[in-house]
Amino acid sequence: MRERLSYYIKRDSALHRLNPLTKIILTLGILLVSLISPGYWTAHALLIFAIVPLSFLGRIWREFFSSAIRLIIPAAGFIFLMQAFFQPLGETVIFKFWVLDVTQESLAFAFRISTRITVMISAFTLFLLTTHPSELMSDLTRRGLPGQFAYVIISSLQILPQMQSKARTIISAQRSRGLDTESTFLCRVGSIVPLVGPLVFGSLVEVEERAIAIEARGFTSTHVKTSLHEIADTKFDKTLRWVLLALVILSLVWKIWQL
Amino acid sequence: MFEKMKKDFTTMTWVLIPVAIAINIAVGQIVVLLKLPVYLDSIGTVLVGIICGPWAGALTGALSNTIWGLFNPDSLPWWPVAFFIGLVAGLCANAGWFKSWPKVILSGFLIALTAAIVSTPISVYLYGGITASGSSFITAYLLQTGQGVLSAVLSTGFLVEPVDKITTAMLAFAIVQGLSKRLLARFPRPENAEVEQGSSSSQLVTALIVAVVVIALGFFVRNMLAG
Repeated sequence: MRERLSYYIKRDSALHRLNPLTKIILTLGILLVSLISPGYWTAHALLIFAIVPLSFLGRIWREFFSSAIRLIIPAAGFIFLMQAFFQPLGETVIFKFWVLDVTQESLAFAFRISTRITVMISAFTLFLLTTHPSELMSDLTRRGLPGQFAYVIISSLQILPQMQSKARTIISAQRSRGLDTESTFLCRVGSIVPLVGPLVFGSLVEVEERAIAIEARGFTSTHVKTSLHEIADTKFDKTLRWVLLALVILSLVWKIWQL
Repeated sequence: MFEKMKKDFTTMTWVLIPVAIAINIAVGQIVVLLKLPVYLDSIGTVLVGIICGPWAGALTGALSNTIWGLFNPDSLPWWPVAFFIGLVAGLCANAGWFKSWPKVILSGFLIALTAAIVSTPISVYLYGGITASGSSFITAYLLQTGQGVLSAVLSTGFLVEPVDKITTAMLAFAIVQGLSKRLLARFPRPENAEVEQGSSSSQLVTALIVAVVVIALGFFVRNMLAG
């Protein structure tokens, strides 16, 4: 149950120095192009010629490969197997297993879908490794995102680990009082209440206090706030964003062309 | 409409949303730990929908999946589903369908239908119908019997979602009934949770019993179908 929430690794690289907005557009651009473009090899090409070189550029390739593999092998592998066995596509049977047959077409389809998933996960991992969430939020707030959104995202990231550790405490406490969380089905269903109840009510009671605290610090004030951190936004960033937008539109045009 | 939307987003709402997101994720993980055949990962979303209105619920759902996506990227593409779960829960609550437990069953059912319909195009376009979730075995079976992808995915959704979403709605309802009246009154829409008859504690207990019964029923029906 314990997961690390912030993947961010502090390094000095060209990728780290990019503006956070540029990085999020880069990620979304890679994602959209791989989803929209009708070419069979687009996703594969993006993975090899964009995402992997970017991880070297960002000097985080070691962390990138270890976390990407940890996330991708289960997700993409499972989907590959499911698709290969269960997609009722094509005629050319490669091999039979019980009543299921793997055809050349279903294998090709499985390969495409699982590469798409790989691109999705690895692009996102790359973004998280090189961007600090609060840096992203302060940049977006400066560009006009309401401060409330930034509050919601940043404070979720802070509350979640606290909530998870509270959940662990509650589970151990209830087990030590004899709560059965592992035996028969009905016992496990019944133990939802004593586990979820204290967790939820405990955290909802804090809501009011927190609301008063942030209200006292000018949360709803509409005045423009000055930021302590300056986040660079170079000419290169701006050009790159337009190029990415153009690429997404280009793949959309390609898709419509093919219809 | 915009003004009405704004009225739902008080400071209490903005503070509740992150807590609700954390509840979604933490409860989802507890359920995985208990090895139950449901997800229950949108209790917080429905809760916000009830006491803060449909748009706050929708926002909670969408952000919840985005934040969950930070350590489980597979949940990222499903954010529209969570968005509509929060929206429909809020609309049901405004219609007064979170005021007694029999009506909550109806709300849960509506939420389930919405979830099934919204998730179908995502599943078909992104994964060709077969996703990483366990219920895909049903879809795969239906595909093998010669059904089209769209109808196979949609029927799987209709089979799987009701148990999960009715339980979710019941538990969210029970939580709202368990909150003190004083705390409830601080949120934008406390009237959505006023019980019609009986005391809120009797509604709470009934809702919990119904939730357990629904999960058990779903489990036994599934076992019967498999056996």
